[in-house]
Amino acid sequence: MDDLTQQGVLGHLMALERGGLARQDPHQSEKLEMLIVTAVTLRTKRDQLKRQVEDIKILKDKIKSGLPLDDDDEGPAELQRSLLTAWRMQLKDLQHAHHLIGGYDVVECKEGRSVCVCFHTAFEGVYLDTYNMELDMTRTVQISRHNIPPSIPLERFAKQNLQKDFKAFLETLSQNLNALAARKQQLSLIKELVGSVEVMESNQLCNTLVLMCKAQGETFAVVLCTLQYRDLAHYLPTHVCIESEDETLSESEQWKKNRALFLESPAHMALLTMKRMGSIV
Amino acid sequence: MDEQTRFVLRRIFKKIPSRNIEDLLKNWNCLTADQLRALDYTRPKWTLVENIISFCEERRLNLKHITNLEMINRIKNPDSDTWHTCQLVEAQDDALFVELTQFKEQLKAYLEGVIRHISIKIKKHEDEALWIRIAWGDNFSKPNHLKPTYVVHHLHTSYVFICNLVAKHKILLYQALMVSTKHGSIKDAHLSNRSLTAMRTLLLRHYQQVFPNNYSRILDEGNTCPSHPCIEKEHAAHEERRDQLASEAFGDSPTLKLETAVYRLETRYRGNVKTTFSDEEELFRGVVKFSSTSLLQSLRHCVASGDFSYPIFLLLKTLTQI
Repeated sequence: MDDLTQQGVLGHLMALERGGLARQDPHQSEKLEMLIVTAVTLRTKRDQLKRQVEDIKILKDKIKSGLPLDDDDEGPAELQRSLLTAWRMQLKDLQHAHHLIGGYDVVECKEGRSVCVCFHTAFEGVYLDTYNMELDMTRTVQISRHNIPPSIPLERFAKQNLQKDFKAFLETLSQNLNALAARKQQLSLIKELVGSVEVMESNQLCNTLVLMCKAQGETFAVVLCTLQYRDLAHYLPTHVCIESEDETLSESEQWKKNRALFLESPAHMALLTMKRMGSIV
Repeated sequence: MDEQTRFVLRRIFKKIPSRNIEDLLKNWNCLTADQLRALDYTRPKWTLVENIISFCEERRLNLKHITNLEMINRIKNPDSDTWHTCQLVEAQDDALFVELTQFKEQLKAYLEGVIRHISIKIKKHEDEALWIRIAWGDNFSKPNHLKPTYVVHHLHTSYVFICNLVAKHKILLYQALMVSTKHGSIKDAHLSNRSLTAMRTLLLRHYQQVFPNNYSRILDEGNTCPSHPCIEKEHAAHEERRDQLASEAFGDSPTLKLETAVYRLETRYRGNVKTTFSDEEELFRGVVKFSSTSLLQSLRHCVASGDFSYPIFLLLKTLTQI
């Protein structure tokens, strides 16, 4: 105390400063050491993970190309895990490819006694309804449940193909379902986009469509277009019939072209084109 | 309007509750706006009906309009009588290409060709259902409009729903349907219901069915009770599986109302029963009847809560597959 009072206030302050500086240094160096150690551990871990990823990639490529796996690839638990991960990645890729080429989603249920097949339908890049079917596989293949619309002749397809050629059965059914969804979608698009055309007749199977259009001209003659879809696996009509009170109109070049339009493009596109070209109102 | 028409009209209104009459007359669109305004719905029903009849006479309406009124009423309230289902089988090759006009013409032609006095009316509803009203007469007497037969059919499907058909006309109607829909034969589907809506929902698959897939986990949002974090459900996985099975078998839809199901049972006695049956191994035959206000819902609940054993479940799940 005497020393301090002798040194005075400034001296006291300088002593405090010296003390503070001395205390900071070990603190800082400790922290620095800790950080250096963490950095080193993280780097080693990163290198380890990089090596593991490389190993898994090599394994996956080996599996993909069908080469036999070396004996020393199996062994420690780590490599076992890498093997499993590699298999899983490979199978996921296969599943993705399967979907891309139009495969069907099949789920096994009831411990392998039955499968459930999922049919997706789409038209013009838009996904539409999904239909499911459960098949019992115990003795012979039999359909147990499904939510396919009753207007599709399921029994006929089953009789033709179910026992002999399963893939062909699925293919026919999928084609018909997609065509039905496409025709239904065309009908709703006509109602939505082409308001001036009236739908006189349609049905659940959408295999007959009767449209009433008004022809552009002085008289605004009424034209009745009948589209018949005799091929149920296709979304374009097989027969088109144009009728009008004005006889010359249905025979004219313009309407012959319109008839061809109906046969070649989806109904709503044909009507929009005709509207744009000025044949109908 | 002759006496018979008036009588038919009175009988029609007798069956319609007073609260539905105003809407029905608007849909019918045969009385003028002034006449509709002039009707006083607070009066007792028989006064109201007499007023309506006098308005109809003023407008010179005939039996055709009256039967139209009955048909509109029946289409709007289909669930008031017992409907029976038949199934068309042996479709010919062009059965799927039968058009509406073709069907109508052929049906009418067949029936009118056999019975001289018959009244047939066919209407297409917006949900693609064809409603057919047939008033039967015979070669000597006029059609009886008090007991018409109603038939509902969706073209290109195989089910036909019939109400009020007597045995005398059954064969004729069946043959007419076979010819006009281009099928080889027709059989009784053993399905009857007062609710046409429920039958159509079931057979035409208008309800939501549940199918197993990779991503399904039925989250019964209505049923989640707030669970305490310290309480763990031991059987959660079992419960989920049972719920999934129940939904797959019986559907998830409250609109599907079946009230009775009758099963024929044939079984044998099993075990050490020292009775007279044991020699011949005679079959035990019986009939089991399930009834409920909504059979599918109650069965679903029983299965989901584990009240049924698996073999019984396997027997009952065929209920929705006709």
